[in-house]
Amino acid sequence: MNSMNSMISDIKAALSPLETSEPAFRQIAAVVKPDGIHGALAYLKNKGFTQLCILTCIDWIEDSQFELVYILFSWTDGIHIQLRARIDREKPFFTTVTDIFPGARYYEREVHEFFGVEFCGNEDLYKPLFLELWDDIPPLRKDFDPQAYSDSKFPMRENANEFLSMTGGGDDE
Amino acid sequence: MNEVKLFLGPQHPGMHGNYSVHMYVDGDIINKSRPTPGFLHRGFEKLMERRLWMGNLALIPRICVPEPDINEMVYAMGVEALAGIDVPEKAHWIRMLVLELARIAVHTMSLGFIGGPTGMYTATYWAIAQRDLILDLFEELSGARIYHMYIIPGGVRKDLPDGFAGHVLEKMAELETKLPEFGELILKHPVIHARAKDNIMLPAEVVWELGVTGVGMRSATGLANDLRKVKPYARYDEVEFEVPVAVYSDALTRLNLKFREIYQSISIVRQVLEKMPADGPVNVPVSPGNALRWTVPAGMVYAAVESSRGEYGYFIVSDGREKPYRIAVRGASYPQGLLGIEKYLKGYRIDDASLWMDTMGVCSPEIDR
Amino acid sequence: MVLDEKDNRSPWEKIGDYFSANSVWMKWYCTGCGAIEMPPTMTSRFDMERLGMGPMATPRQADVLLITGYLSTKTLRRVIYSYEQMNSPRYVVGFGSCTVNGGIYYDSYATINRLDMYLPVDLYIAGCMPRPEAIMNGFAKLIDMIKKGEARGWRHYQENYEWYKKNQLDSLGEVIIKDEFHE
Repeated sequence: MNSMNSMISDIKAALSPLETSEPAFRQIAAVVKPDGIHGALAYLKNKGFTQLCILTCIDWIEDSQFELVYILFSWTDGIHIQLRARIDREKPFFTTVTDIFPGARYYEREVHEFFGVEFCGNEDLYKPLFLELWDDIPPLRKDFDPQAYSDSKFPMRENANEFLSMTGGGDDE
Repeated sequence: MNEVKLFLGPQHPGMHGNYSVHMYVDGDIINKSRPTPGFLHRGFEKLMERRLWMGNLALIPRICVPEPDINEMVYAMGVEALAGIDVPEKAHWIRMLVLELARIAVHTMSLGFIGGPTGMYTATYWAIAQRDLILDLFEELSGARIYHMYIIPGGVRKDLPDGFAGHVLEKMAELETKLPEFGELILKHPVIHARAKDNIMLPAEVVWELGVTGVGMRSATGLANDLRKVKPYARYDEVEFEVPVAVYSDALTRLNLKFREIYQSISIVRQVLEKMPADGPVNVPVSPGNALRWTVPAGMVYAAVESSRGEYGYFIVSDGREKPYRIAVRGASYPQGLLGIEKYLKGYRIDDASLWMDTMGVCSPEIDR
Repeated sequence: MVLDEKDNRSPWEKIGDYFSANSVWMKWYCTGCGAIEMPPTMTSRFDMERLGMGPMATPRQADVLLITGYLSTKTLRRVIYSYEQMNSPRYVVGFGSCTVNGGIYYDSYATINRLDMYLPVDLYIAGCMPRPEAIMNGFAKLIDMIKKGEARGWRHYQENYEWYKKNQLDSLGEVIIKDEFHE
């Protein structure tokens, strides 16, 4: 079992990440440039990180960036790695990693559906997965307001007694 | 050759939850199958960004309905890692107790649900009744049968009620007398053998391609890849248990593995009750005063636990405010429920598709979220 | 919904209601998380067969449609499709707070807030989720309502079909999906 310190120094030497940290017990976070993701994933897969736990995305709307997150796990070392890279929010294009991790296929479809990030090379990308007949911007983007969407589409029940109203004549006032 | 389009589910007695598999069939052989998730999509990841850190406690158990406690556990683990909270010793042990009871309940239920695809409903009747006895324990512990909201950041909500340990031990002893009958009824029954033996295979090399974890991975590779062993959380490094493995993964093997895991969980429950500190605090206050204004330091962390179906994790992002910035959920059955169904049902019979869903443990609410 | 209170059933309808109340078939469809309490209700411990109820796999032979919790729009399309396949008299039971007012998912973009805008609900069972005892209680109440001829939601659906259809189309856009294979 490799120790955390040797793993971190290996990663620093091989991937030259922009930043590394240890956010939790036996967990390494590394930020790389977007074009370094594929090399990093292939390198880590050879180092024993054979499992892609999750591929997800964060919408940093104030920086106008999307951050792609790849979390890998090594069953031999018991270490999680977060590999992160930021891409432009206005031009959200990235290449698929299904050639390295075939299991990423549905995660990429999901990220495309919920964030609108396009993964070139994933042929199923444009088929709807979770949502059906979706007619708004991708829902997990920060500028999407689910309350407004829900109000416009799904009527609420009007309560006969306005319990929360401060001015409405409550019984004990 | 006549290829027919066929929908299996969402409304089907053999289907697990509200999930659908669309297939092209020739006779009753599947030529091509496509998973169709999303029937249970509630937009949890968006809703969690709109709730306070503590308010999310009410939301998260609903992500995985059969085994809600793992959600509370990963959420608590993630938030504790971000906020740097040290959990009291006794809380760790109580958490393990809850998680193992939940594992027994969900494994028992999944042994019972083999009745759906195989048509042997006796198993369902027996197993659901046994699971209900565990739900009674949860009710005594937290007041609720299904959604407990018991494990919270900083510990657990309350100490164990008086006499609870005795009740747990009684139920475990009762379960142990029943389990051999289950073995006779389910695992040795000719009906189950005819359907599950040498059927719905998961080859070892496929495991890594899909990213399958849990029982599926352990039954195919022979590796004891269990997060409780590989990367212990709570106090799993202080109890002794075995991880059942196999190298030939048909549906029957996976059922056998689940059956053996129930025994291991019973043993863990007994050890927990034995080794648990008699007294001490069970939670630490996490917020200075008002939980409504509780902020978690900025950071990103991934927390994972071993659920009954495999690695279950949350990726939690905080920007230092009162609400989470983003939470992504890794459903444990995501690989086998989506890519697994798409690729590895070809060549099997229609009715075996739900056998895959049962023995691989496909839980639709955690895929859809 | 507003129902006329007067019992204007013909004698034959009364006899029919009496017999159908004693043999109620529930459609086997887990639409939401409340369905996790259905197995205990159906099997040995709570045993809903003592009320003469049993699960039924096809909508065409079922009497009761259980909406077990929240409904995403994707499920609602299938539920409406299933409901319209059922034979009259047919009854709808809403489980839990999500069917009443959206419950915990009141601000979700994917789930509806009020079930009775889209389908006529005869009975709500409160709780999140309702316990098996509450479900059994609700079923006993439903059987009583059928006997007395009070469960008339299916007739309301026939008479106000345009109103229901309009609500369904407003929220869903399209009720029947043409090709679900997405190929």
